[in-house]
Amino acid sequence: MPEPTPAPVHILVAEDEPLAAMALEDFLSRRGFRVTLAQDGLEAMERHRDDPADAVITDLRMPRMDGRALIRELRSQSATLPLVVMTGFLSMDEGQDDLTSDRWKPLEILRKPVSPQVIVDTLLRLIGRPGGSA
Amino acid sequence: MFGGVEAFFDSSGFIPHGVCLLWRPEILALHVTADVLTGLSYYSIPIALAYFVLKRRDLVFSWVFWLFAAFILACGTTHFYSIWTLWNPDYAVEGVIKAVTAIVSLLTAIALWLLMPKALALPSPNQIAATNVALHREIEVRRQAEQRYASFFNNLAEGLFVIAVLPDGQFVFDTLNPAHARATGIDPDALRGRLVRDAVPPETADAVIERYSACVRAGEPIDYEETLDLPVGRRVWHTVLVPVRDGSGRIVQLLGSSRDITERKQLQEELVQASKLATLGTLAAGMAHEMSQPLNIIRIWAENALSRLRDGETDAGRLDKVLTLISEQTERMGKIIDHMRTFARRDGGGMEPFDPANSIRSAVELVRNQFALENITVNTDITGERCLARGRPLQLEQVILNLLSNAHDAILEWRAAKDGGDPQAGRIAVSMHCDGGHTATIVITDDGGGIDPQILPRIFDPFFTTKEVGKGSGLGLSIGYGIIDAMNGRIEADNVDHPGGGRGVRFTITLPVTRPSSREVERAHA
Ligand SMILES: Nc1ncnc2c1ncn2[C@@H]1O[C@H](COP(=O)(O)OP(=O)(O)OP(=O)(O)O)[C@@H](O)[C@H]1O
Ligand SMILES: [Mg+2]
Repeated sequence: MPEPTPAPVHILVAEDEPLAAMALEDFLSRRGFRVTLAQDGLEAMERHRDDPADAVITDLRMPRMDGRALIRELRSQSATLPLVVMTGFLSMDEGQDDLTSDRWKPLEILRKPVSPQVIVDTLLRLIGRPGGSA
Repeated sequence: MFGGVEAFFDSSGFIPHGVCLLWRPEILALHVTADVLTGLSYYSIPIALAYFVLKRRDLVFSWVFWLFAAFILACGTTHFYSIWTLWNPDYAVEGVIKAVTAIVSLLTAIALWLLMPKALALPSPNQIAATNVALHREIEVRRQAEQRYASFFNNLAEGLFVIAVLPDGQFVFDTLNPAHARATGIDPDALRGRLVRDAVPPETADAVIERYSACVRAGEPIDYEETLDLPVGRRVWHTVLVPVRDGSGRIVQLLGSSRDITERKQLQEELVQASKLATLGTLAAGMAHEMSQPLNIIRIWAENALSRLRDGETDAGRLDKVLTLISEQTERMGKIIDHMRTFARRDGGGMEPFDPANSIRSAVELVRNQFALENITVNTDITGERCLARGRPLQLEQVILNLLSNAHDAILEWRAAKDGGDPQAGRIAVSMHCDGGHTATIVITDDGGGIDPQILPRIFDPFFTTKEVGKGSGLGLSIGYGIIDAMNGRIEADNVDHPGGGRGVRFTITLPVTRPSSREVERAHA
């Protein structure tokens, strides 16, 4: 239920699976977010440079520049940018993977298949704002 | 010269030989005694010779003995006649007797010289005696050796058997050793001397006769594994057959040795299955990732649609689109599951003899037209003898199909590549060659640019793919590897430069094969 807002939260989605990206874009924009799509890490960096996002959702396995490289780049530029990782890999939550370490925070790992509602809730929590709008 | 026979023998006018001796009694007595004794001795010799020849029927050159006898008899006669001529001057008769003696002597002498080399070649009694001793010794040695081999044959833990090969090609059980009898539960006495075809159940006979024939055809030792239903039950054997030839080179016997490898085989199978399951672990991770993609799409679309529905939206066109999309994603998941099923299947039964050439032909037929539309030609070249591999024909077809579709993908990508790509690319060559009943070699070559040497070692890994999401699962080659491995074959990949320019990949599959027996040809066609 979109509410009139001065400046919608800008979300950058890096996902190489176009069908997943499209559905996510649809869902998020209906919740009042402004969404930018990128097919891989490199494209995501370009989009972020041209039009900085308030939070980034990224897949891990992508062509050209993968999710991990993208996270390293973004974190080196900003220590506070909220990051959400969507992955189909196992054992992400077992404290084994480097991404679970504190130095990447604020970062949340969501395992595919992800409920879009959970993505929205996670984004809002990381951004520190209740509700779907800025 | 002579006035006739009568004149020749006319002795009037001659004087008896005694006159020359002046009729001196002591000289006459000496002559007569000497001639009588000599003559008698001479006469006794032929009798002794005749006796000898008649007693020794095995005598070689016995005619020479008869010649000797005649010669000595003639000599004796001249002596007796010398006594006659002391008083009667029948010198003509004496001359004739001497002439006869001369002829017989001459013949004997000639015969003797002619025979000399042959006579010398005859072993002397001493030599024969020595030979006899040596022969006795050799017989003894052989007897001991035979005893040793017999005790070898009877006490060795290895199962041994001897099959006689009849001139008409049939096989007869000769013997089997106690170890083999124990291991198989077969009673050697019940089999000895019987045709293999009649002595054991038809299924077993078919199986073993095929091997025996293969050994005779090959003319050299062969070595194989076989599963037989025997009185002790179903066992797996590792058998070696060695052909034995007679003086003329015909194979008259097969010496066989068999070892029961049932337990080892089971262990091996379990290990293969275990290693497969280990790969399955890596596979599971990849699989989870692979499945999570379509599941993710489904979930987002479904919840999206649900949320719109709850907001009061009932756009049928939109719902249709979402559900179609979801259904397509489940199809994609189904394919992944199918791949997994092939991979996890436990091999064992169900392997059948089949002609690999048929799998190649039907795989090529499936793609030829579609590839032609995209200007890709597929050439097949099948040479050599007909041969049979063991496995599942459809699975080999699946492997070849994947190789063809990989080549197809590589060619299209190579054509599209901005720099370095070859717009002329579009040839796939499939060849098979079968050599003397040992291996079939299948080679699939393309001109799609080849594989980066850095990723070459990884292409058989499960889920390794360079293709876009949704285009390749990366399972094709790893499943192919498993299938060829289960057929005891090998699959390898390398880059090749084509003579007329252009580069590509060459996949080589080698499969162990046998030449088909007529029975199998029938079965393979049935
Ligand atoms: N003929 C070829 N030329 C160039 N690269 C090849 C060729 N065959 C295989 N490859 C490489 O090996 C990879 C693995 O091939 P594989 O068949 O296992 O999976 P795939 O074709 O990607 O997916 P699928 O499971 O649908 O077959 C391919 O992604 C490709 O990079
Ligand atoms: Mg493939």
